Amino acid sequence: MIDEALIEQLNRGYVCPPDAGPAWRAACEYGFDMSLVEDALTKSPEERLEEHQRALDMMLLIRDDIEHYAPK
Amino acid sequence: MPQNDKALLLRLKGHGVEFVIIGGVCGVLHGVSLVTFDLDVCCRFSIQNWKRIEAAVKDLHPYHRLVANKLPLELTDELASRLKSLYLQTDLGKLDCLSEVSGIGNYEMALQRSVTHTTSYGEFRMLDIDALILAKEAIGRERDLAAVKQLRAIKEKMDGAAPDSPQK
Repeated sequence: MIDEALIEQLNRGYVCPPDAGPAWRAACEYGFDMSLVEDALTKSPEERLEEHQRALDMMLLIRDDIEHYAPK
Repeated sequence: MPQNDKALLLRLKGHGVEFVIIGGVCGVLHGVSLVTFDLDVCCRFSIQNWKRIEAAVKDLHPYHRLVANKLPLELTDELASRLKSLYLQTDLGKLDCLSEVSGIGNYEMALQRSVTHTTSYGEFRMLDIDALILAKEAIGRERDLAAVKQLRAIKEKMDGAAPDSPQK
């Protein structure tokens, strides 16, 4: 059942949990999507490094493309 | 230019380099979600250890990335005895080897403030989360202070309920 509450929930993105501590809340208020940190904390450090590597590879690829296609 | 932190770490470990992982990669290992573009390590300040670093990256076309003319890495005893840090570009990416960590001190101090990071390819030492927070606060750049916000949140979560949490 799609109602207004569900639509609102889908649209609002990450919401700081009500039981979050002050540091977690401060990071949320700073603007971080803390769902990414929550996700990282479910992984081992090795898995975090692997995920970081994938993100880094993508960013470097995009940076190379921007440089390649930038108007001369 | 690629950046392969795992491969660089394996190189250092494989050549017996005494080092502690610091900086952004250390943050990632603790759970920070920010992407970092180099590998920072704190190394024992000795000619022997610098030579091990040189051996570890020798075939990766290393050069001093922060000096003009891409000066190739060639460590003479004299140069090694006077170095305090190495900022290298290699075929596997950027590798910064520092003899001191801001807010912490030299390699011995960093080692004391480190924890073991166990992987399927070996064990590495990395700064513990409190030391990393101290180091990043000491550096004080905007991006480091931003990372501190995540690190403090992670520490809070790892430590359990915060005593001054309004909900507790």
